[in-house]
Amino acid sequence: MAEIVCALGAPHTPLLWRTMVDPVPGDLAEVAAAFDRSRRRLAAAEPDAIVFVASDHFRQLVTSNMPAFMVGKAPSMRGTHPNEVREFGLPVREVPGDPDLARDLLGRHQLPDGFDFAFSDEPWLDHAFMVPLLYLRPQLDVPLVPIFTNCNAPPLPGAARFAALGEHIRTTIQRSSLERRVAVLATGHLAFELGGPRQLSGGSPGPDFDEEALGWIRAGDVAGAVAGCTYERLLDAGNLTFQFLNFIALMAAAGAGPPELAEAVHCRFGPEPFMTWGST
Amino acid sequence: MSRYMIDKLMWEIDRSDEALDSFVEDPAAFVAAWEGAASAPEPPYPLGGSLTGEERDAFEAWDYERLYALGAHPYLLWHFVRAIHGPGGTPVGELSEAFKAAVAPHGYPEFAT
Repeated sequence: MAEIVCALGAPHTPLLWRTMVDPVPGDLAEVAAAFDRSRRRLAAAEPDAIVFVASDHFRQLVTSNMPAFMVGKAPSMRGTHPNEVREFGLPVREVPGDPDLARDLLGRHQLPDGFDFAFSDEPWLDHAFMVPLLYLRPQLDVPLVPIFTNCNAPPLPGAARFAALGEHIRTTIQRSSLERRVAVLATGHLAFELGGPRQLSGGSPGPDFDEEALGWIRAGDVAGAVAGCTYERLLDAGNLTFQFLNFIALMAAAGAGPPELAEAVHCRFGPEPFMTWGST
Repeated sequence: MSRYMIDKLMWEIDRSDEALDSFVEDPAAFVAAWEGAASAPEPPYPLGGSLTGEERDAFEAWDYERLYALGAHPYLLWHFVRAIHGPGGTPVGELSEAFKAAVAPHGYPEFAT
């Protein structure tokens, strides 16, 4: 039987790749330490599959055909894209997949009642997946089920849908007949702005939101997070704060209990969120 | 309004080194050729599509302030700006400050397509 052995949330800031190098600059030392703690936490859980909730950043998916949620069910997949190699210096890697677990999440022959996934046999991972994986599991040896979310192109799925996604991940894994120790990962941002007048300002564009968001996570308060994450509130906290919604899915997948750890590590790129839960 | 076409053009330029080089070398020629392909009666653009004159002018002039005001998606726009200025061009910090100063007067335009 499958089980969730841990749930981890982490940032995916691609600018870390060229800056968080040896010797690690002072303001990034805590970020490096936080990734290392999460890497060890993940290793201690000994997962043999990872379900990973993250946003595609208009790399594979654009509004010619934009799903709300897309499950990747390939036995192997590639990350990242040529423009991310050019801009961020990220390496291109192959990552193993777990099609059987992906099909459990999808319902194999019929999509789950009340849930409308897209699916792909050719998922292509961008930095939202690859940056955390390269820090948290650099061996890239644990088969992955990527769940791409639309946190970029309005109309977005609402916060309640992300909570439902997390619930679906949790119950599917609990009911799966597969022998799997599953880690659930998610990445996103707290308040975040890019392509607007508050971008790359060295701080958060929405510190009040950050504080409240960390409160929801520390309390395992999915309902509070859902109520608080209206489109307008997220936009007010930064023009791309919507990726916080991935953490609502993570909280719900983890069983809505308080985490072992939830923190925002501040650095030149703003507040970087880290959170971990044990088995559920 | 053809906000989708703004985003699509930025996306296509950023994701292909060949398209990026062509656009940087001759923006007007690139945009004209792209619009020609986009309006062709066969896939991948079966419904056709073109930029407005203002949008076309903004692309040809690398006028990211105008594209921002027209509702270009902020994520795509920033990466488009970084791409066309190139890794050897304006340092990212300097580019970011210029970008922010240019777009700030326009607030937060609607960017849904």
